[in-house]
Amino acid sequence: MAVADEALAGPRPLNWRAILIEAALTAFVVFLLTIALVGADIVDFSDTVTVRPRLNDVIAAVIIAFLGRIVLVLLREGRNRIVLATMVPLALATFLILLGGSLGIGADLRHLLPFRDPVVCWIIDGAMIVFALRALWTMRRAVKVTLSDEAREARADRTAARVQRVARMIGPLIFVAALALPLTPLANRQILDIGTLVMTYIMLGWGLNVVVGLAGLLDLGYVAFYAVGAYSFALLAQFFGLGFWTCLPFAGLMSGTAGVLLGFPVLRLRGDYLAIVTLGFGEMVRLILNNWQSLTGGPNGISGVPRPTFFGLPLLPFVPEGHESFFTFFHIPFTPEARIVFLYYVILGLAMITNLFTMRIRRLPIGRAWEALREDEIACRSLGINPRNTKLTAFGIGAMFAGFAGSFFATRQGFISPESFTFIESAVILAIVVLGGFGSQLGVVFAAIILIGLPEFFRELQLYRMLAFGAAMVTIMIWRPAGLLAHREPTLKLFGAKSRGGAK
Amino acid sequence: MSALPVRDEPAVPELLPKGAPLLEVEHLTMRFGGLVAIDDVSFVAGAQSITAIIGPNGAGKTTVFNCLTGFYKPTVGRLTLHHASGDVLLERMEGYRIAKQAGVARTFQNIRLFPRMTVLENLIVAQHNHLMRASGFTFLGLFGYRGYRQAERDAIEFARAWLDKVGLAERADWEAGALPYGAQRRLEIARAMCIHPTLLCLDEPAAGLNPRESAELNSLLIEIRDREKIGVLLIEHDMGVVMEISDRIVVLDYGRKIAEGTPDQVRNDPTVIRAYLGEEEKDELPGEIARDLGAGPGERG
Repeated sequence: MAVADEALAGPRPLNWRAILIEAALTAFVVFLLTIALVGADIVDFSDTVTVRPRLNDVIAAVIIAFLGRIVLVLLREGRNRIVLATMVPLALATFLILLGGSLGIGADLRHLLPFRDPVVCWIIDGAMIVFALRALWTMRRAVKVTLSDEAREARADRTAARVQRVARMIGPLIFVAALALPLTPLANRQILDIGTLVMTYIMLGWGLNVVVGLAGLLDLGYVAFYAVGAYSFALLAQFFGLGFWTCLPFAGLMSGTAGVLLGFPVLRLRGDYLAIVTLGFGEMVRLILNNWQSLTGGPNGISGVPRPTFFGLPLLPFVPEGHESFFTFFHIPFTPEARIVFLYYVILGLAMITNLFTMRIRRLPIGRAWEALREDEIACRSLGINPRNTKLTAFGIGAMFAGFAGSFFATRQGFISPESFTFIESAVILAIVVLGGFGSQLGVVFAAIILIGLPEFFRELQLYRMLAFGAAMVTIMIWRPAGLLAHREPTLKLFGAKSRGGAK
Repeated sequence: MSALPVRDEPAVPELLPKGAPLLEVEHLTMRFGGLVAIDDVSFVAGAQSITAIIGPNGAGKTTVFNCLTGFYKPTVGRLTLHHASGDVLLERMEGYRIAKQAGVARTFQNIRLFPRMTVLENLIVAQHNHLMRASGFTFLGLFGYRGYRQAERDAIEFARAWLDKVGLAERADWEAGALPYGAQRRLEIARAMCIHPTLLCLDEPAAGLNPRESAELNSLLIEIRDREKIGVLLIEHDMGVVMEISDRIVVLDYGRKIAEGTPDQVRNDPTVIRAYLGEEEKDELPGEIARDLGAGPGERG
């Protein structure tokens, strides 16, 4: 009721002096940050390097920070109308000018914008839109913006629980959408490529979720198993001439074995220590691949990795005499798109197998033992659960899926080298799991789309890619420290829909 | 209070008669560097009876438990668990095997539940080894093997029976960490019982309970002894609990056993009074006795 009372009493009178001081402080911090980084532009002539001042940009940044802070304070104090009244026209005007600029209309108006670089202006426009939406949202909810952390947390949890309930529908919907995507007119080469890439990471995310999300073992070297899978397939293909489908189980087996072997020495470690050692293992695998010239080809990698076949029919334009290809068999003309669509469906299938497997195993005794181990290892031991075997199965199964994904990566690229398996890959996969919410299948999908799909789409903004990546991480960590969808669904219920009759 | 469903658990093939030695601790010594935590302690815990270990803080009670349940390897000594089918030497077993094969279950002084799993899941995890076998070590379970689904239903029934006993059935789908303190204690005991133990070790089960909860705990423990017919070994500070339900009491002080016997014997043992109970009764003692006790070797500040 306290919230309602405060809402009735109306907003507090504004203390303009305090607000101005706050805004001035922000502006000062921005000034300190920008004066060196933005204010001095280093110009490289052929013989001399000179520093050209760019004070205009600094001043613009300071003014924007000053005004932006005031808007934030107004939002905090519940003055949503003022914010809305100023932000909407401004955002709209900026948007139109930017749009006009990119279409080549009204170039004169560009001078009204604070920065010459359109990307920066787009970001500012985006911020204004966010402010306006925030104001609108709080007005509609008639809830004070400054909820306590617990209340916000509880609300987010309820949302996550609701999302999780709808997830039973969303999951299949996304699956159907993914299934239908190549058939829609939307599908071009770029979209299918991005879709394939995103699904590879979704598969890796689901695999790593077993280790990190369920068993609670922080693994920073996951990419090592991805590499083992890729190299197992590439080497088997190179030396024995085996195809993708024959090698897939072997690659999974090899990676799983590698997972168990690497798991052994780190059994006693937990948390940070485990993370550091697994990070080391990840680098070791990459260095071995890089230096074992005679087997792996070293930095030159392995090229000519065979493409997957459609039940033995290669998807190639030309086949040796006496063999049939996919195209000659079905009497259709060769298109390079067919191969892309085929790869898309292969990874969709592999990812769905991973999904079903991990969902299922979570509800089996071993899955519950993983979660119990994450919660309390000592209690597990006192209940007769073998912590060693339980941890090793988690490592092994997680690694196995990385191996499957790795051999898919190899067959898709046709070429692999140690460069593809650097630490940043592990970090990205871990970020997908963490941001998605430990143990949440759907969260991994969203996180992979945000972290892999969006940056691929906006490749033009490549300079800002890592910046946006970092911003997304920080934002999610502030608002949803436990991940986007961090609601744990019990593996079984006594008072589930089925057993309610017999329960009372 | 329905009878528990009969289960094919290999852990308890047949019962030892009441009072027969179930656990034999011989010359148990545990040193941490120069510190002697337990010094040559021997005692026997009987089948189908409640044995209490008491003693002042730091007397080595929890260390005895940790040796029994495999968290420490004793420096010297033999720990024998008598099963009807044969003897098991606990000090040679790996930690988790003591629960899995010897059937020694324990609870912890600072409760160790799986806080983010539900109450029911906590009890199902305790039946892990049985369910693992039923699920064909995951392979059959993955394909929804019928025998596994039946085993899982049985496990839920068994868990439910225990939830009824400890009065938590209504809250079966709660997160265990969200339960009030007393309920968490009861859940931990129920979880320990779900591994079908032959010996249940409770580390201060009454700590932090109010008098009503304490009384409930007493009847629960007596029920476990009389109905489940297993041995109970408990560490406890609450003398109300100890004196009321124990069949036998072992008193430790400074890592040594200073007395052993029935509650009446222990209550009247002068060494015990001096070392332990004396502190509680000091205010009521006449001045000269208090002075005498103060000069005694076992007195603590």
